[in-house]
Amino acid sequence: MSSESHRDEDIFESQYIDMYLSEYASISSIVREALPFELLATVGGVIAGIILSGMTNELEMIPGLIVIYPGVLGLRGNVSSTLGSRLGSAIHMGLITDIDRNNPELMNNISGSLLLGFIMAVLLGVLGHYVTLALGFESAGVFKLVLICAISALTSGVILSFIAVLLAIGTFRYGFDPDNVVTPSIATIGDIVSMYMLFLSAKLVVML
Amino acid sequence: MRKNGRHMSYYTVEGIIRRGLPVLTVTCVMGIIVGQILNTRENSLLSMPAILILIPSLVKIGGDTGSMLGARLSSAFHMGLGDRIYRNPVVHNSVIAASIVGLVSSVSVSILVFIASMLMGFGMPFITLLEISVIAVVIELSVVYSATVGIAFVSHRFGMDPDDTVIPLIASLGDLVGVMGIFTALHLLHIL
Repeated sequence: MSSESHRDEDIFESQYIDMYLSEYASISSIVREALPFELLATVGGVIAGIILSGMTNELEMIPGLIVIYPGVLGLRGNVSSTLGSRLGSAIHMGLITDIDRNNPELMNNISGSLLLGFIMAVLLGVLGHYVTLALGFESAGVFKLVLICAISALTSGVILSFIAVLLAIGTFRYGFDPDNVVTPSIATIGDIVSMYMLFLSAKLVVML
Repeated sequence: MRKNGRHMSYYTVEGIIRRGLPVLTVTCVMGIIVGQILNTRENSLLSMPAILILIPSLVKIGGDTGSMLGARLSSAFHMGLGDRIYRNPVVHNSVIAASIVGLVSSVSVSILVFIASMLMGFGMPFITLLEISVIAVVIELSVVYSATVGIAFVSHRFGMDPDDTVIPLIASLGDLVGVMGIFTALHLLHIL
C-alpha cells in the first residue's frame, strides 16, 4: 500500500493510518462483518413482506394505503438509519461514549429524529393523497392518510430510536464497527416495526 | 474536533431538521412515486402474494448495502481517510464487498420467500423466484452503488454531512430502482 502524502512531522501517524486503513477497508473484513447482518436483514424483510401480504384487506379497504406504504417504510428507515449513522460517526469521533441523558449530542440526535419523522409523516400523507387524486386514482381522504402516517411514524420512531442507541453503543463496546452493524440492523428491525405499526394504525383508522 | 471554543454541541435539533428536511422531502416524493408504480399494478400484486412478500425484502438489499457503503465512505471522510474516487482502497474495497453481500443476500431472499410462500399455501416455483431476485438485484445494485459513491463525494465536496444526505437518498433510490427492477424482471419472465 503506497502512502503518497507523508507529512514529515508525523510519519508515525501516517503509518498508523495506513495500518488502520488496510484493516478497516479489507474486502474480507467488510464482508465478514456485514454479511451476517444483511442475511438477518433479509429475514426481517421477508417478515415485513409477510405482514404486507397479510394486509390485503386493509389495502383494498383504504385506497391510497399502497401509495404511502413505501414512503412510510422508507421514511422510518431513513430517519432511523441516519440516526444510526450519525451515532456511528459521533462514536468514532468520541462525542458519545455511553447512554447519558445529559449528553446533548445524544439527546439532540434522538429528539431531532423524532420531530423530523413527525413533520415528514404529515407531508407524506398530504402528498400521497393529492398525487393519487391527480393521477386519477381513488384515495381514502387526506385526513385518514395523514393520521395513518403520523401514528405509525411516532410509535415506530420511539421504539426505533431506543434500539438504535442501544445498538450503536453496544456494538462499539464489543469491538464492532457500528457503521457495518447499526444501519442494516436498524433498517431490518425498522421494516418489521414500521410495517407492523402501519398495519395497526391502518386497522385503527378503518375502525374510525 | 470542535474548532471554536463555544459550548455548542456538534449535533443540534435544529441542525438535524434543517439538513434533514430537504433530503427527506426528496425521498418522500420518491416514495410516493414508488407507491404510484405499485398502485398501477395493485390488482395483479394482490393476486400474487408471493411477489408481495418478495418486494420489501428485495427492495431493501440495495438500500441496505448501499447505506452501509455510504456510511463507510462517510466515516472515512470524517476520519480524513479519503478525498479521491479513483485508486482509493476504501472506495474500491467497500464497493466489491457490498456487491458480494448484496448478491448473496438476493439468493437468500429467494430461498426464504420460497419457504414462506410454501408454508402459507401460495407457492411459486423456486427457480422463478431466484430469477426475479437475481435480475432485480443486479439492476438495483449497479444503479445504487454508482449513485452512492457519486453522492458521497459530492456532498463531502460541498461541506455537507454525508450521514444526513447519502443514506436517505440511497435508501429511497434503492426502493425506486428495486421496484422497477422487480417489474422489469416480471416482464422479462412474462409473468406480468
